[in-house]
Amino acid sequence: MDERTRLRYQLICAWCGPLFLVTFVLFWGVIANNIPNPAPSLTAEALKERYLSNLGEIRFGFIMSLITVCFYMPWTCVLAAQMRRIEGTEMPVLSYLQLIGGALTVMVVSFSAVFWVVAAFRPEAPASTFQMMTDTGWLIIDLCYACTTLQMVAAALIGLADKSKVPLFPRWVCYLTIWCGISFFPASLTGVLKTGPFAWNGALSYYIPYFCWLCWFSTASIYMIKEVRRRMVTSESPQASGRLAAAGI
Amino acid sequence: MTAIATPSPASAATTDRLPGDQDVWIFIFAELLMFGAFFVAYIFNWVGNVEAYTRSQLTLDRSLGLVNTLLLIVSSWAVVSAVEAARGNHSRQVARLLGMAIFCGLSFMIVKAFEYTAKLNSGISILSDDFYMFYFCLTGIHALHVMAGLTILVVMFLNAREGRYGAQTTKGLETGASYWHMVDLLWIFLFPLLYLLR
Repeated sequence: MDERTRLRYQLICAWCGPLFLVTFVLFWGVIANNIPNPAPSLTAEALKERYLSNLGEIRFGFIMSLITVCFYMPWTCVLAAQMRRIEGTEMPVLSYLQLIGGALTVMVVSFSAVFWVVAAFRPEAPASTFQMMTDTGWLIIDLCYACTTLQMVAAALIGLADKSKVPLFPRWVCYLTIWCGISFFPASLTGVLKTGPFAWNGALSYYIPYFCWLCWFSTASIYMIKEVRRRMVTSESPQASGRLAAAGI
Repeated sequence: MTAIATPSPASAATTDRLPGDQDVWIFIFAELLMFGAFFVAYIFNWVGNVEAYTRSQLTLDRSLGLVNTLLLIVSSWAVVSAVEAARGNHSRQVARLLGMAIFCGLSFMIVKAFEYTAKLNSGISILSDDFYMFYFCLTGIHALHVMAGLTILVVMFLNAREGRYGAQTTKGLETGASYWHMVDLLWIFLFPLLYLLR
């Protein structure tokens, strides 16, 4: 594969980031009725009623999100490749960690949505089944965040060690990344609490950590796309890159 | 950046820059913002249930909370003095003062452990009521920050013992000190909010 094609694929992978972001918010968040999400304090009957009155949307939203969540994978791969260049080719442990973290994030998000699809699969099932499936889905996604935290910390550590003339991520983005990863910790409280801001529908365990995750994802995507574009410019003929440089691009 | 990070002793006190690594302040401000959200959530819930919150709050041991406040203030003073000592090239004193800050931080954690144990033994837990939900969540998350801060202090203590901090090399020390002051500042807000506000 020549350099030009390789970089084009990298650019497509990097653009999978914004694509994931938009489709995740649309299908998983808006269409599947997760903004706002069901409260853990709902009775089994009220929860079943919530499913039955939005059955089509919930099925469509989660089934589509199970496809589009995979946009996270190419994005993770291009980040791993960019990190590996900084880390060096021998034993790029942090790049591997980021890669595994991203892959597991896809599985965690997918598994939880599968439980909600299963709940919506048999509308005639008893209300307690809906509750059990909903609980399982939310506790999977809210308690298994550490693989995403490690993905983020690995990316930030590489960013901080980047001595390139134009680094992949600015240092402030790296510190913000670590903080965003840490902001997930209150979500562990969802394993115990059913009401209040630390329950799985609360501001401090749902809205803020998920916002932080997507905020990091958007910021990282911007810098990753910029990095591929820079490489595309320099890989072109010296004449072309000279013209672009003269134009200030 | 290097030039900014290694000021001379005379200029360090007079410049307007934030101490330590400038980019770490993004992290510190984000942490303060997060705790700000915790405090707003507490106040928001407290306003509607002042009586119930006060009833539960009366079962807290205020004197232990006060002891912990004093411990963190003393530790912050020790850390400030350590930075000053480093600027004056008194490296042995830096290690001694950091050791004192670590001792205060560890004492804070021991007092917290006693407090938690006493509550759990008397049948009070995170699920008892809304006040105790906030109490355990907020002080627990703060305790995680204390542990992170203690780890940083221990690393700085080991560095100081090897004489790595001097007038021209205070950046790392200032950065760690800023984080520890943030941990202290958060407790200074948490203590009146949880133990005193009625």
